[in-house]
Amino acid sequence: MPEIAFEKIDDYKFRIPKSYKQGMRVDGIIYATEKLLSGAKNDNAFEQVANVAFLPGIVKYSLAMPDIHWGYGFPIGGVAATDPEEGGVVSPGGVGYDINCGVRMLKTNLTLDDVRDKIPAIVNRLYQDVPSGVGSTGDVSVTVKEERKILVEGAKWAVSRGFGVADDLESCEEQGAIEGADPDSVSKRAYLRGREQSGTLGSGNHFLEVQVIDEIFDAKVAEKFGLSVGQIAVMIHSGSRGLGYQVCDDYVKEMLSCLDKYSINIPDRQLACAPVKSVEAQKYIGAMRAAANYAWANRQVLMHLTRAAFGKVFSKSWQSLGMDLIYDVAHNIAKFEKRVVDGKEKYLCVHRKGATRAFGPGNPELAQKYQETGQPVIIPGDMGRASYLLVGTRKSEEETFASTCHGAGRVSSRHEALRKIDVNVLLKELKAKGIEVRATGKKTIVEEAPSVYKNIDDVIEVVQKSGISRKICRMRPLCVVKG
Amino acid sequence: MKKYEILEHTADIRARIFAKNQEDLFVNSAICLFELLTDKKAKAKDTKHIELSASRLEDLLVIWLNELISIFYSYKFLPVDYAVSISELSGVKKISADVRGIEFNPYGNKDVKSEIKAATYHNLKIDKDSKGFAAEVIFDV
Repeated sequence: MPEIAFEKIDDYKFRIPKSYKQGMRVDGIIYATEKLLSGAKNDNAFEQVANVAFLPGIVKYSLAMPDIHWGYGFPIGGVAATDPEEGGVVSPGGVGYDINCGVRMLKTNLTLDDVRDKIPAIVNRLYQDVPSGVGSTGDVSVTVKEERKILVEGAKWAVSRGFGVADDLESCEEQGAIEGADPDSVSKRAYLRGREQSGTLGSGNHFLEVQVIDEIFDAKVAEKFGLSVGQIAVMIHSGSRGLGYQVCDDYVKEMLSCLDKYSINIPDRQLACAPVKSVEAQKYIGAMRAAANYAWANRQVLMHLTRAAFGKVFSKSWQSLGMDLIYDVAHNIAKFEKRVVDGKEKYLCVHRKGATRAFGPGNPELAQKYQETGQPVIIPGDMGRASYLLVGTRKSEEETFASTCHGAGRVSSRHEALRKIDVNVLLKELKAKGIEVRATGKKTIVEEAPSVYKNIDDVIEVVQKSGISRKICRMRPLCVVKG
Repeated sequence: MKKYEILEHTADIRARIFAKNQEDLFVNSAICLFELLTDKKAKAKDTKHIELSASRLEDLLVIWLNELISIFYSYKFLPVDYAVSISELSGVKKISADVRGIEFNPYGNKDVKSEIKAATYHNLKIDKDSKGFAAEVIFDV
């Protein structure tokens, strides 16, 4: 394949012209600095940005966020919107296997002084009470009838079963349950896989992290969210577990046959897709939404277990510890959103594959309490450096289909990490920084070592300077539970 | 001849699988998959019969691997050995396999060393030369 000649648009944006590859319908645009761009040149991610530009009905450009890295089909950090009225497609590979993988952040009224001596107790309690790890199985056992309810009601189901309170729902994207979920479009196998894993964190890059806010960038918004320097927060990263993986696999397979049926030409079969208005796409969308709701229920249960664990350590109720949800975002999902394109209002199918929705202030879809601030955007970094809370902006609505980055983004492989990193040295280094880690396997700790990720500060600089989101505060990790 | 090797990939697992013929390519791919998942060794007790088809051999390989992943997690069945035959009729490739294995709970089991979400179609290829077949598959982990 030829080397891509990037055109520099400004310090934070680069273009892959559609002339790069025959069949691209639009340009590719990458949000990055030159440093980040050159750091990712050795893998296939930019080729994937060009491949996404082949999708029928794609609008304006194939986008990549600064945490871009090599995925399958879409790059991780990829965003693409299609117009159903112009033959626009939906691609299960553009959402990924972990449908509605996402993050939630909750605050506490504890300070660093309150927790300093209790870090080992906290991390041990969380590790014990929140099921994590490879193939972890949850305490929440559900019948098929109940599971169907989860797929429709999402986090609301969890709240109705006592896992949290109604106020939590207002602090979730889609209020923790997207409409239009169709439990009948979810296969028996997906149900079987889902039943085993309700209320589990999972493995890989999923985690539960206790953090301290170490810098505030926007005092006014931070105050509105009830956040200040020295305060303790908790972040939970998980998704739809085996249920989502099975839904994606079922529909990628089904959509391979749609490529001939609808005469679709794509350079990577993982981008298999179907026109949004087709029967196949409608079935996938119903199943994808069901899986997304499962993930919201899952994160709600995980938060409940986290609150209970803190309650045990501090012998207080979670309410008196002030453990309110700041927000919950999905970063692997396809959503239908209204956008103005060339002066015309359109209802677009926005794919976010490792990207976060970032609605700006005044967006009518946001709850009243976020109208002035814009939507909270939660961006976890690696377990040794930092994570950020940002808000969405009007500029992101104009430029990036209301999307921003989702994390730090990997730079090196799990394989390389296992070869190069000694787990005991790594744990010692983290401990020296005051970070305690618990995981079921040492392998996961090594595969997720800080050095395999880009520096989150570099990624955040791009979304801040380009104006597609705005920094509110930064958190550094104190203890981490990994799968 | 080695059955497979693991190659570099930024986020996922990329495997290159070798075999003398098409049937062994499918068997060795399955061996690679389950050696990534677990070190558990066992004597097969039950048999599951699988028939799958696809328009391309490459697609068939991924569909086969995902079928095995799905059986592992949905029906808690760990394959141990395989009797595979591959045929082609009017341009459609078909695999017919007797998969022998054991009942095995993958959830909360210390014998399971990683989680694989699925085999993907991205950069999927099967090459053939005088020595035999080589396939490249990326697993999402």
